[in-house]
Amino acid sequence: MIQLKTMLNCIDNSGAAVVECVNVLKKQRAATVGDRIVVVVQKQRNFGPDTANNSGIANKVRRGDIRHAVVVRARKEMQRSDGSIVKFDDNACVLINKSGDPIGTRMNGVVATELRGKQWSKILSLAPMHV
Amino acid sequence: MTAFSPIMRQLACLRSLAKPQSSISSQLGRRSITTSYTPKSEPVPLPNKLPKQFISQLPERLQPAPGPKKVKVYPPPASARNACKDPVGAVAESQMAILDPKGERKALFDYRRNPRSVKVGDILRVTFKNGDPFSGVCLSIRLRGVDTSFLLRNELTRVGVEMWVKAFSPNVNSVEIVQRTEKRKRRARLYYMRQPKHDMRSVENIVTNYLRQKSALSGQRGRGQQQRQKRR
Amino acid sequence: MSPRLRGKLTQLALSFSVPSSILQKNVLMRTFGIRSLNPPKASRFDIGSDLPVLKSTPTAALERKANTLPPRTGAIAIKKGMTAMYDPETGKRTACTVLQLDRVEVVSHKTQQRHGYFAVQVGSGWKHPSNVTKSLLGHFSINGVSPKRHIFEFRVRDESGLLPVGKAINADWFQEGQYIDARSNTKGKGFAGVMKRHGFGGQDRSHGVSLTHRSLGSAGPSQGGGSRVYPGKKMAGNMGNEQNTVQNLKVLKVDPGSGVVVVNGAVSGPKGCMIRIQDAIKKPWPGVVPSEPIA
Repeated sequence: MIQLKTMLNCIDNSGAAVVECVNVLKKQRAATVGDRIVVVVQKQRNFGPDTANNSGIANKVRRGDIRHAVVVRARKEMQRSDGSIVKFDDNACVLINKSGDPIGTRMNGVVATELRGKQWSKILSLAPMHV
Repeated sequence: MTAFSPIMRQLACLRSLAKPQSSISSQLGRRSITTSYTPKSEPVPLPNKLPKQFISQLPERLQPAPGPKKVKVYPPPASARNACKDPVGAVAESQMAILDPKGERKALFDYRRNPRSVKVGDILRVTFKNGDPFSGVCLSIRLRGVDTSFLLRNELTRVGVEMWVKAFSPNVNSVEIVQRTEKRKRRARLYYMRQPKHDMRSVENIVTNYLRQKSALSGQRGRGQQQRQKRR
Repeated sequence: MSPRLRGKLTQLALSFSVPSSILQKNVLMRTFGIRSLNPPKASRFDIGSDLPVLKSTPTAALERKANTLPPRTGAIAIKKGMTAMYDPETGKRTACTVLQLDRVEVVSHKTQQRHGYFAVQVGSGWKHPSNVTKSLLGHFSINGVSPKRHIFEFRVRDESGLLPVGKAINADWFQEGQYIDARSNTKGKGFAGVMKRHGFGGQDRSHGVSLTHRSLGSAGPSQGGGSRVYPGKKMAGNMGNEQNTVQNLKVLKVDPGSGVVVVNGAVSGPKGCMIRIQDAIKKPWPGVVPSEPIA
């Protein structure tokens, strides 16, 4: 149930930590796992002192950037075809560019398997774990 | 009228007396409508036992009432409702016979009758058909026949994940009890375990230990599974 | 059919599909069905063999409905409750409703000649004869069926759909995999306010609103709108317990022995209510030949 003003965790290494949903794309209802949304980066991830050493993981986004994202976890329970229901304790997303490729190169955190059914297999393969 | 005196008015009453009396009485005699009284003749009583064939000759009002017309009532056919009193249960049973022929899964979750069943607070490990395992602490068991399900909670990569699993789903390959709860929980639904204060956090360590022990007992067979578990 | 039409014209209009038994010796008989308030006037240009059927006749009405009326009758069922079915291959779970047919028999027919349309009157259950009115008891008696608790009509397209009177309709009347429409009364909600009944927004909890938090705002415009409430204004009132049709439900399972029909998804009404099920009008008709009547 991700809608306008919902704050989500960003679980990739693009540099964003917390983002705010400003629009749900392609549907007139609240977004759930696998839906594409537009977000504003509210908080940057602090990579600590070693950020300067390897600039490869420099923040690709800054606070205030408007980006597209894919929801990968949702608090709202999702029902699967065999009747089982999955819910997470937080809402989380992964930033993507306009063509649908993830901005970050790594992801930390479990994601929902529903991404596969919605053509986000690339994000699913990046994730360390899925349920 | 004022011209007439009261005396004159009184005199007017006398006029009727002046009329000849005889003529009045004769008039009365002529106008009388009195006739001679003839009593109505009694109807001839019907014979007590009139034969049936003569009844039709009687006037309709005297004929004896025919009584209510008989309507033939047909008996009902055999009822399917009596043949099957609980169709919902029957449909569910037929489903259970396909999904759980030996009744093991049913016994595993029937915590009201089976003392060896899963209890809330136990740590369970579910393996799905596609190979994915999911383990967690059981927060609640819903006994609903073929819709029986249980709620597992775990923490994966520091994110709480909950899953309602249908006990008889064909997608569930196996359900194992990893660890039983030490003390019987005094609640049927352990939703308080979602609060940070009571949260069990991750049960992955307990499950990994269990799998290691299990593979040690059963030999080589479980090793591949264990390695995959580590990789996750 | 208007009663004012001349005999010759009547013959013309009816000769397309109505059997000629309606006209005996060119004497105009009373007809039933849809009748126009403004019957067509006789005109000398209306006479001819190739003229179309008049629009205000039952014949024309039946022709218009020919595509949307099912060719065969339906059945009365009792809603017993809901459960789920799993596909053992894919693991897909399907919620389903269990319906039961109880002593469903054909009670009588409605025909175009007598009633203006074709329908099968179907009864189900059983009622003690002492609780049935005399007139209804006679109706059952002459048709040779036991007194029924529930009676409903199912319209059919033509005479070929009129199942013989007294024929029992069992669960195998429906096939697994076919689609049906389920018609029943919804659960009664009693006298409900506009928020529940029509989904109105209600009013603020505060900001000066007093005692009217769940009422409708305005019943309409004032002087500009005629100072009246328009017909059809949504207001509070009785909600539910009205007929509802759920279309295109798949029949998942049929058990003639226990009279059970399992359909996919939900059906309106509480458990134990009567459901009229008939072939879905928006799906191809099931290829079923009406079976032989039982002795």
